[in-house]
Amino acid sequence: MLKDKFFREIENKEHPNEKLIKTHCSYCGMQCGMNLRVDTSSNKIIGVEPRYDWPVTVGKMCPKGVTAYQQTNHKDRILKPLIRDDASKKGTKEGFREATWDEAYDLIVNNFKTLQKEYGKDSLSVFSGVSMTNEKCYLTGKFARVGLQTRYIDYNGRFCMSSAAGGFLRSFGVDRGSTLPWTDVHETDCLFIAGSNTAECHPTSMFRVWEVQNRGGYLIVVDPRETPVARRADIHLDLKPGTDLALANGILHLLIENGYADESFIQNHTNGFEETKELVKEFTPAYTSELTGIDEDKIIRAAEIYGKAPNAIVMFARGAEQQHKGVDNVSGYVNLALVTGKIGRPKAGIATFTGQGNGQGGREHGQKSDLLPGYRKITNPKHVEEICKVWGITPDEMPEPGVSAYEMFELMHNKTIRGLYLLCSNPAVSAPNLNFVREAMKNLDFMVCSDFYLSESAEFADVILPSVTWAEDEGTVTNLEGRIIKINQAQEPIGQSKPDWRMQIELAERLGRGQYFRHLTSAKDIGEEFRLATKGGNADYYGATWDKIDQQDGVFWPCKDEEDTGTPHMFLDKKFYHPDGKAKICALPYRPPAEEPCEEYPLRLTTGRVVYHYLSGNQTRRIPFLKDMCPDPYVEIHPELAKSYDLSHEEEVRLFTRRGEAIFTVKITEAIRKDTVFVPYHFGHEQSINLLTIAALDPMSRMPEYKACAAQIEKLGVKESI
Amino acid sequence: MGRKLFLELENCIGCRSCLAACTQCGGHDQRNRNYVLDVNPFVNRQTMPLMCLHCVNPACARSCPAQAIQIHETGAVLSALVEKCIGCQNCTISCPYGIPKFDVEQNLMYKCDLCIDRTKDDIPPMCASVCPSNTLQWLTEEEIAEKQQQHEMENGKWVTSMPYLESETNVKINLPGILQGKEKLF
Ligand code: SF4
Ligand code: SF4
Repeated sequence: MLKDKFFREIENKEHPNEKLIKTHCSYCGMQCGMNLRVDTSSNKIIGVEPRYDWPVTVGKMCPKGVTAYQQTNHKDRILKPLIRDDASKKGTKEGFREATWDEAYDLIVNNFKTLQKEYGKDSLSVFSGVSMTNEKCYLTGKFARVGLQTRYIDYNGRFCMSSAAGGFLRSFGVDRGSTLPWTDVHETDCLFIAGSNTAECHPTSMFRVWEVQNRGGYLIVVDPRETPVARRADIHLDLKPGTDLALANGILHLLIENGYADESFIQNHTNGFEETKELVKEFTPAYTSELTGIDEDKIIRAAEIYGKAPNAIVMFARGAEQQHKGVDNVSGYVNLALVTGKIGRPKAGIATFTGQGNGQGGREHGQKSDLLPGYRKITNPKHVEEICKVWGITPDEMPEPGVSAYEMFELMHNKTIRGLYLLCSNPAVSAPNLNFVREAMKNLDFMVCSDFYLSESAEFADVILPSVTWAEDEGTVTNLEGRIIKINQAQEPIGQSKPDWRMQIELAERLGRGQYFRHLTSAKDIGEEFRLATKGGNADYYGATWDKIDQQDGVFWPCKDEEDTGTPHMFLDKKFYHPDGKAKICALPYRPPAEEPCEEYPLRLTTGRVVYHYLSGNQTRRIPFLKDMCPDPYVEIHPELAKSYDLSHEEEVRLFTRRGEAIFTVKITEAIRKDTVFVPYHFGHEQSINLLTIAALDPMSRMPEYKACAAQIEKLGVKESI
Repeated sequence: MGRKLFLELENCIGCRSCLAACTQCGGHDQRNRNYVLDVNPFVNRQTMPLMCLHCVNPACARSCPAQAIQIHETGAVLSALVEKCIGCQNCTISCPYGIPKFDVEQNLMYKCDLCIDRTKDDIPPMCASVCPSNTLQWLTEEEIAEKQQQHEMENGKWVTSMPYLESETNVKINLPGILQGKEKLF
């Protein structure tokens, strides 16, 4: 289905004594198709071959994808459970000894039981992630609430997709990251991309992005830096970090002023227009320019292009979302499409670039503190009842909602939470305000970490459980389009490693909760129960069987039953998911970043990714090619700013904020605003920029403001007073 | 059959996936054989791949005293034959782009062979297979002709699709500037 101009029938190269296993990349939300090359005598993964027949990415991969296969048989793999008896070594790599699974499980169960007996069920917590299959994400939510019976579960999507989710829910009543399939992207007439370094973070979108321009369409990019995608943009709106909402309001004002509002669409399919129109009146080009630092002309021109475009897609990513008004930024950008009616048809709509491989699926099915499978709410008695039926518990057994990811660390500090089961995440690098977060982890009475490498977070654990890489398990993932796809197993787990779902089932048994889990003996079993659990929810996967996924090259949710082939385009009937079927145009008062530059901290610090690394870098920093290409973090500085601090290229400087400091190498480039510095966040220990970032949380999504805080630079070897 | 490598330099995003993928071709011994350059790193993020252009009359092969560099019937200029290469590095010096690399330990030249293992069967080379930006493409003669036509300016003066750079090459190139003079949709 959906084969487009980029699709070519190409036979794969097969080498003698090898077989190819079709699957997808382990990393970002693009979920590029790939074939893993497996040696048929050793049954080990030895390489990668493009998957030309995958309709979204037609064989293309970024360097992370090309080298992803090197994770599985890597020398750093943890092959046996590890136990550390000496708690004084917490926060270091030291003191671990190998143990049997039985010994590790016994220790965990004893500690968990003791803590819960003394301090109550909610003294335990689960911190999870979404770089794993739907089956694992689903089971993790069930394990926390039914296995451990705790309310405290949340996940790293709070640091990634939660603002997009919040914005979509408010504007549309449903949170599917893209309203259209990626095969539409290159066919639109205007791409408006805000806060996405697409070329580095979702590189395999780029052939479609460039094609819009090759066809004579327009590319508008909003970013404080001239990223590789901004370099070629028709208009680069180089805003100050943290001012997206002012820009969105300013453009909306111009669209309305200049007659680009679609009156009948607004009338029939939306609420909230008049109020919003009033609110954005204030955002004249002059005022918008003053707030954002962007030239007035460019704002006017961008609004004109977006307004005129027959079809346009507004896309955004963490740049807009990782702010303490991330949800408002998202709804603000969505407003552009709702007011102009450029949504609910092919080639026009809204999309967020999902960060993690399963950032979409993983947030829908119950790892979030207030959600249950199928995007159900734990605060809605009817929803709770539906899930209780599937799980075999009574509604009064369902725990209350918990708290968000960062707030869990606050509860670890004050000893409300005393035990942690961490999987598929590395918050000791990826959380904001790291001095506080690392202390919180140190403060725990007992911590378990499941990972396949010894991550910076595993250094705080008492027990480490060896999990498997993506290629040693199977299951489904939902990519950034909302397409459910299949990950296939290419190799048996190495050493004594096990998939997380197996650990959770075995732990539940030992915790005396086996009756709710023991009928599940494979990823497929979990998949079947999971589909059932989503039935009738907003994110309905019931009809997305593994067979259908294979036959159709993926299934877009919602997919309600056997006959349903899925929903590539959302809202074609112009029906939104709010009770009255209308979308909400949101009136959003502007507010500046939580921490504005001042005399003491005059610079704006923003953070982001490089093409060679993924998230906390726990995986990619171990891959030789990727490490060679980007071994260390750096601070990007405009030459004029560098001059004012007397800094030269490759000199080491101290960068600091109210929360922390670190030493970075200076990288001078004109491709950044003069008032802003940038540091990539993939690095551990004293190299983590998150030692400096601020934990100002969005009131709705609880997303921290990674993208803007106030900072200062100090030249090394020179006293501050000089 | 008969597709050729085509470079559209304007598209490059500097991801170096082409280099990572190069190591994946059978017979490439996990070593990558080309380069990606930062064009003007202090100013902007423009990058470009520097690939072997597989010259029709290749300087590297001409300069080789041991006739170690063979030309495949597809036009691909192959890596040095292990048994013939004497490690003199004439090829690297004579190549206008400095493409052939040298393994000091093995005293052996190695270079891009256009994934001959794949391209002899018209399977695209690894670099063009993975390139996320379509900087590197594997196209038929007709598709290349179409590209070149698209990018010729009316005044005939500023064309990105030059007939050839130093001399005639099997790999075809569009230099940066493909969007100049592009007629917009609206
Ligand atoms: S990291 Fe993302 S873009 Fe790169 S190969 Fe993997 S899925 Fe594709
Ligand atoms: S893979 Fe393509 S975009 Fe990436 S560096 Fe190579 S030529 Fe440039």
